[in-house]
Amino acid sequence: MSSDVILVIVVATALAFDFTNGFHDTANVVATSISTGAARPSVAIGMAALLNFAGAFISISVAATVAKDVVDAEVITPTIVFAGLIGAIAWNLITWSAGLPSSSSHALIGGVVGSAVAAVGFDAVLAEGLVGKVLIPAVIAPILALAVAALGIGIVYRIVGRQRPGVVTRGFRFGQLISGGLLALAHGTNDAQKTMGVITLALIANGTLGADADPPTWVIVASATAIALGTYSGGWRIIRTTGTRIIKMDAAQGFSAQGAGAAVILASTHFGYPLSTTHVINGGVMGAGAGKRISAVRWGVAGNIVVAWLLTLPAAAAIGALAYGVTAIFGDGALGPVFVSLVALSMIAVAFNRRWRRGAPVPVS
Amino acid sequence: MATIVETKDLLQTVIASLAGGVGITVVFSVAIWGTARFADLSRDERPLAAAAAAGLAALAGLATLAGVVYGIVVMASK
Repeated sequence: MSSDVILVIVVATALAFDFTNGFHDTANVVATSISTGAARPSVAIGMAALLNFAGAFISISVAATVAKDVVDAEVITPTIVFAGLIGAIAWNLITWSAGLPSSSSHALIGGVVGSAVAAVGFDAVLAEGLVGKVLIPAVIAPILALAVAALGIGIVYRIVGRQRPGVVTRGFRFGQLISGGLLALAHGTNDAQKTMGVITLALIANGTLGADADPPTWVIVASATAIALGTYSGGWRIIRTTGTRIIKMDAAQGFSAQGAGAAVILASTHFGYPLSTTHVINGGVMGAGAGKRISAVRWGVAGNIVVAWLLTLPAAAAIGALAYGVTAIFGDGALGPVFVSLVALSMIAVAFNRRWRRGAPVPVS
Repeated sequence: MATIVETKDLLQTVIASLAGGVGITVVFSVAIWGTARFADLSRDERPLAAAAAAGLAALAGLATLAGVVYGIVVMASK
């Protein structure tokens, strides 16, 4: 009975994380379309939410990686997964409050690894999967997106550089509806799968599913819905950082950045790499800026983002470990997760209240 | 290290990203070039050249769409 209560709390927390993931991350997907004038904010966000939902049904490779290749499912308990989720959500909210586009995915993996280490020790971590499927792709993907976008925009300017600006701008704005949609689809498939993976991990840890089980349909539908609702609900503050503070983009750069991001995320998803879509799209944006003119990129802002990226794994791991430590004080029952959930909800309410008092985030025109 | 990192998978990811990202961007820009040239050539009353530019634009536009669909299908096939 107690383990079922914990499982319900874990599933609810995972879906809450998925919601904050959409809330926090997906704004990055639409930022380029909005800042170049390719789509109105309401249209871009509505489209991104729908395509996030659809994308979640395309693949389960990333879910399998999160469920089976990062930590040893045999020694993981639902409480460990819960504490990891708390670490990820807390870090997501901290960076959201600061307006920094850090990685929800790395926060999730960092949180789960941190709580697993606190509970079981380093033996719980599958170093091969963590390094080969998370850390190395995490470094390569944004650099690859940067290179693809820079190369793409360089060729684009050679092809259309002498044509009438009006036709070119209108053409690439139209193209951004496709590239932005593709990026939203890619985001949905990679990011929603992380929640599916975590819920599946909890179900395996609870004995509800076998060790090699794939995510059940209800998990896929619930994860898709949560990320889509999160996407639709927020993210204005981070839109400003990605869409206008890194570079001032034209429509061709927006298309190139989104195309690069979508290509990298889709290719990585095929091989089950749980990427940070935030890192990838920011890499694409920087590449599109640098491909036109190196000095067009505001490297100071980019540097702040890199610092947030570097902090995410260890910070989320530390919070996850702390959350597990607090939960463990109450023993093995459901009381610990219930107490930590209540504390987390109170902190979220306080964070939202403070943001509200400071004034609503200003949309990008 | 070689067993930890699936070099082949990573390499394929890099190649697919480069081919997809750069390829689709370039092909779509050809479609825009064709559209822009079609408008200019039509204004200059050169119908044959304008038709060729329009044809190129249409082909490149279709190739862009085909590339997008192919990318999604390949990704969903695993």
